[in-house]
Amino acid sequence: TAAAPRPWKLFGAMCLLRLPRITQPLEKEEEEMAALMGQIELEKSHYSDHEIRKLEEEEQLRRRKESAYDDDEGPGKTVIMAQDLEEKWEQKLQRFKAAPRVTDADKENNRTSLNRKLDRNLMLLVKQKIGNQELWLLPQAEWQPGETLRSTAERAMATFLGDHIQAKILGNAPYGIYKYKFPRAVRTEDNVGAKVFFFKAFLQSSDLSQAELKKDYLWVTKDELGDYLKSEYLKKVNRFLLD
Amino acid sequence: FFLSSWLPQTVPCRGSHWQSSLLALRASLPVRAQPKKKKKVDVKREQAQKDRMKKKIRKLEKAAPEMIPIEDFITPLKYSDSKRVRSLPPLSFEETERRVLLMKRWCLFKQKQDKAEKAAIQTLVEAQQEALKELRLESEELYQAAIRRDEGLFPFEREGPNYTPPLPGYDPPEGKCIDITKVYTQ
Repeated sequence: TAAAPRPWKLFGAMCLLRLPRITQPLEKEEEEMAALMGQIELEKSHYSDHEIRKLEEEEQLRRRKESAYDDDEGPGKTVIMAQDLEEKWEQKLQRFKAAPRVTDADKENNRTSLNRKLDRNLMLLVKQKIGNQELWLLPQAEWQPGETLRSTAERAMATFLGDHIQAKILGNAPYGIYKYKFPRAVRTEDNVGAKVFFFKAFLQSSDLSQAELKKDYLWVTKDELGDYLKSEYLKKVNRFLLD
Repeated sequence: FFLSSWLPQTVPCRGSHWQSSLLALRASLPVRAQPKKKKKVDVKREQAQKDRMKKKIRKLEKAAPEMIPIEDFITPLKYSDSKRVRSLPPLSFEETERRVLLMKRWCLFKQKQDKAEKAAIQTLVEAQQEALKELRLESEELYQAAIRRDEGLFPFEREGPNYTPPLPGYDPPEGKCIDITKVYTQ
């Protein structure tokens, strides 16, 4: 028995996440606790070889100063002291300059760049035409009979970012759903509304130079989603986003 | 006159004295000068040797295998020297108080963090269940495709975040790592 065709249109949408590249800054309690743990570890420890060597050399220096230079300074060989080694290591560390945690894209607030907010998740938003409105949405495509919803979402991603995108999709099941009815003018018996099923994927490739066919795209964090998405849509999307 | 084994006249060259003529085949099998040792004695001796070896192997296998020492659990003796004990002033009352209060605050912080994580996971699962329910209402076939296990998902590997982003064009210093871990075989 063939089932009667349902009046809902199906869409598959992809929530593409760029995972954080650097660690988030520590909270106040976390910093205090880390300092305390370091202190306790120091108190419970014994002297290491390097520290013993340092202590002995300090003793020798002190004795030499007190006894006014009358034991073995004849040979004249240059002995490397532990203190000198420490200073050398410190200088070497100072000479190394790491990449900054706050990038240029952060400072300019360039929301199309992937280098922004390296300690947070970034997700892709594109501008799509729904009905007669241009809206900011997660990339979505209409479901064609004969494919699973996951492949619909993959197709949606491919239309906006090209075929060479490497993303790990997390499973076959949808993560969330947004159901809406068409406005009364468009609504008919067979065409009540649409259901958008969301899928999640992690972005694997770090550069998207060949991609970005569509001009209007943004990479935003979870807090900035509110600037672009409608309230009902935002509520459903926020349910399956961890931050 | 000179002795020479070299005869002036041409003589048909014979490879070995068993070959009576060049064209005839070997008349008899080449036999060693002394009579051959009897085969039985050799076989017995070899069998006895093999049995002795097998007995030794069985004895070794029966003995319990020696335990592999875990190097991390054995403190080398040079670190139990009393000279190595650190000399620090004892903790003041304020310091111990501060530590205890900090531990309590930490406890609360971690509890809140854990609760928040669990609540987030709960909403995640609920949202997914809702989506699957709606999908089932739509079409059974799509629902079955959605709840099928994704074989390519695990093993899932990912490198964790570092403290600073990678420096473009960084040339790490050269060096060779020589592994000196002791490998024990049982």
